[in-house]
Amino acid sequence: MVNLTIDGKQVAVEKDATIYDAAKACGIKIPILCHDKKLHPFGGCRMCLVEVEQMKGRLIPACTTPVTEGMIVQTTTDEIVKARKLVLELLLLKHPIDCPVCDAAGDCDLQNLTYEYKVNMNRFVDEKFNHEIDYENPLIERDMNRCIHCGKCARICDEIVSYGAYTFINRGIEAKMGTEFDGPLNCEFCGSCVSVCPVGALNSRPFKFKARWWALQKTKSVCSYCGTGCQLTLGSKDGKVLTTIYDENQGFHNGQLCTRGRFGYQFVNSDKRLTAPLVRKNGKLQEATWEEALAEVTSRLSAGKSDPASVAALATPRLTNEELFLFEKLFRGTVGTDNIDHSAGYAHEALTKGAVASFGVAASPAEIADVQKSNLLLVVKSDAYETHPVIGFEINLGVKRKGIALRIVSDKKGKLTRLPGAKTTVHAPGNEVALFNALCKSVIDQGLAAEGVAGLDALKAAVADASAEKAGVTAEEVAAIAKEFASAEKALIILPIGQGYPGHNAALANAAANLAILTGQYGKEGAGLLIMGEKNNSQGAVDMGIYPKGTGLNAAAIIDGCANGNVKTLFVAGENPVVSYPNRKKVEKALENVEFMVVSDLFLTETAAMADVVLPACSFAEKSGTFTSLGRRVQNVRKAIPAIGLAKSDFEILNALSQALGGARYNNQGEVFTEIAASVPAYKGLTQAGLKDEGAVYPVTLSAKLVPAAAKAAVQAPGKLALVTGSALYHCGTMSRFGEGPMYVCPDAYAELNVADAAALKIAEGDQVTVTSGTGAVKVAAKVGKRVPQGVVFSPYHFGEGSVNTITDGSEVTYVTVAKQ
Amino acid sequence: MIMPLIKGLQITISHMFKKPVTLQYPTERPDVKPGFRGLHALNVSHDKAKCVACYLCPTVCPAKCITVEAGEDQNHDKYAAKYEIDMLRCIFCGYCVEACPVDAIRMTEQFELANYSRADFTYTKDRLLEKK
Repeated sequence: MVNLTIDGKQVAVEKDATIYDAAKACGIKIPILCHDKKLHPFGGCRMCLVEVEQMKGRLIPACTTPVTEGMIVQTTTDEIVKARKLVLELLLLKHPIDCPVCDAAGDCDLQNLTYEYKVNMNRFVDEKFNHEIDYENPLIERDMNRCIHCGKCARICDEIVSYGAYTFINRGIEAKMGTEFDGPLNCEFCGSCVSVCPVGALNSRPFKFKARWWALQKTKSVCSYCGTGCQLTLGSKDGKVLTTIYDENQGFHNGQLCTRGRFGYQFVNSDKRLTAPLVRKNGKLQEATWEEALAEVTSRLSAGKSDPASVAALATPRLTNEELFLFEKLFRGTVGTDNIDHSAGYAHEALTKGAVASFGVAASPAEIADVQKSNLLLVVKSDAYETHPVIGFEINLGVKRKGIALRIVSDKKGKLTRLPGAKTTVHAPGNEVALFNALCKSVIDQGLAAEGVAGLDALKAAVADASAEKAGVTAEEVAAIAKEFASAEKALIILPIGQGYPGHNAALANAAANLAILTGQYGKEGAGLLIMGEKNNSQGAVDMGIYPKGTGLNAAAIIDGCANGNVKTLFVAGENPVVSYPNRKKVEKALENVEFMVVSDLFLTETAAMADVVLPACSFAEKSGTFTSLGRRVQNVRKAIPAIGLAKSDFEILNALSQALGGARYNNQGEVFTEIAASVPAYKGLTQAGLKDEGAVYPVTLSAKLVPAAAKAAVQAPGKLALVTGSALYHCGTMSRFGEGPMYVCPDAYAELNVADAAALKIAEGDQVTVTSGTGAVKVAAKVGKRVPQGVVFSPYHFGEGSVNTITDGSEVTYVTVAKQ
Repeated sequence: MIMPLIKGLQITISHMFKKPVTLQYPTERPDVKPGFRGLHALNVSHDKAKCVACYLCPTVCPAKCITVEAGEDQNHDKYAAKYEIDMLRCIFCGYCVEACPVDAIRMTEQFELANYSRADFTYTKDRLLEKK
């Protein structure tokens, strides 16, 4: 610790702190424009000039100067104020005074400082800039005339996002923040640059002119897309969510968001939202009252009570913990059926079967904070970045700032593979388990296995015939990864799961866990296995028991049951099986066949359109409750706006049904959480009020065991391409289709091919191609690149038109032919 | 008994031949003094309302009677797609005029604001635009 005096206040700070940090620690505000706590110090704006007793004669920038013992600092003297005023005058020389039409007004650092320092005249005169303004980009509007050259956009894009879309171009007075060859912005559109821009040079285009900053009602909540559980602040006005507001003090990610979180909120107030219940009459869905719709559902469910096996229910892991708990209680308790499931069944097995077998808990042994505390990250699939972009930012930061080694085993390359020092092992699609078995074998062969691990002999026998060749990689690569992983002080495996990854199942979770357990890389900080659930409350859905526990049917079996008539009543809360479950034709046929289907959803999805009763549900912005993110963090979701139209939250719907069926009745969702805390062991002692803003990570007690995982034999399909599905960077599940932001940048389904394959098939970028498998055929646009290896096709699963589940059947890899139309 | 009556009538009749002391509204019009705060008008320049929809008037308005919604025109400039004043709530304080950074709103001399229905008291942008 270093002791110093700032404005007469004694303060002790870490030795790597700057004067700015020290002042902040003792509550003294030093004005800044170019500094951000997440970024390396820059020292560009000269607003933070202070006086240091030991360095008299000149003013010292506080944000770049490290503290030294005994330093005496003055932060506001007449000379300093004069210097700061000069800085502001010089900035205002070029900065247009268009505050009345600038969306940053009210949240503008330059405006605030100009006001604070009373800069109401300028000694200098000059012409303003006349840069062309980029109005074309649908998400980020760039007006470089307003830019004050703080460089934050370029730095955040480089340091955290690791994309590098911006850089200073030209020199001196001509200098400006430019893009690649000063052309249009073509990046990930995460909007990090918009969030840190201290003025209105970078604006969110979807929010342009929508409201003034001071008129927005700010509600702290949790993003409802992926399982990362990023906290965000919703800016709403007149019952509409208009934007997400950047707050650098929110969450582990310091307010950092991806494109979905920042620009994908429009689904909340979409015109396509359902505003009234629909009931099928004479074959057509017609508007009805809530009483009528609920009465019909109640009568079907109470009839189903006498034959519970004929009732099945699917829930989306987007619901809150409270809703899922009530869902489970209603169907498993009151109705008495075990036929309940979520996420197509397979997408949660890594947790509910894999982690349970290997670690004795249905949760990740590691948490998000472990990513940056690790020494080596082993990422399964480069898609980890696409599925959970903000975890991707954590990986970027870890690799670039802390020198964490990054090893990727994947069936294609991706953004993570381009990080400094990252080594990617590209294996043949569907061979993840075989690869992990080979890694385990290599660890054992190299004598790196920890002694006395439960199940070691069984594993030795099971992996005896595993080899690198079987996984389609070289023995050297496997031996190197095994050695590095075992000898790293702390090593963490990152495994994304989801409906796009049928191969990321219990077996893969076991295989990955085996490697961690075998090398003793678990149960300590920065090590273990981080299983990344796909949706915002995937972990919560597992914790609330939304999966068959006894002899009940899983999601796939429920679909089969609908087809063969065993399931007569199906309740679907927010799921969209028609687009997101494998084999679309089969699902459609099954849902047509089921006697009675009720869907509660925000939109008239492909599934809802087939239902007998459709109940309009509320989005996350219209309800309160809790989500549990992938690192087992339980966080508060807060209501920002009233319900749209006649929509009711799933809590209200399930509560009404529960009461009508003679089950429990709650006065509010808070009561349900109290019951969760009392009956779900992991949530013991938690209260919604106690979660506060930061949430709480619930602890797990691990009982590790090696569980042999059987690798599937490689499929020989000569002349065919291996289709792997997954998530696109801009989308999550099927809900992001209703957000304008993601649809601007990624509107249609596509199939990504390797350049060599494309050349052989005479396919160019953007061509319409037909992808045919044994299950069906689908027409999509082609995307050509070097990311996927030869012989592999990648397609994201989010889209209703040209949905990839038309050709998949739930196996890890689908073998297809691709032809130009 | 009769005398007070006659006296009264005398005063009444005498006034019939004197100049009236009150303003003969509506046949006579008052002389509105400068600085009078009557109905608002939106100033026009180059055939366009000067208003840039900065929302300062609804922000400052103590009666919360101004509703503005901004829009983006073909030149990507900000303009008031909707500008409404609820004259039933307005307290004619003139803060909106004071707050306006672009001299887009002023208060006219028009004081005759009576109307027949509540809806008629909502002055839309069309009604507020300065008439030439």
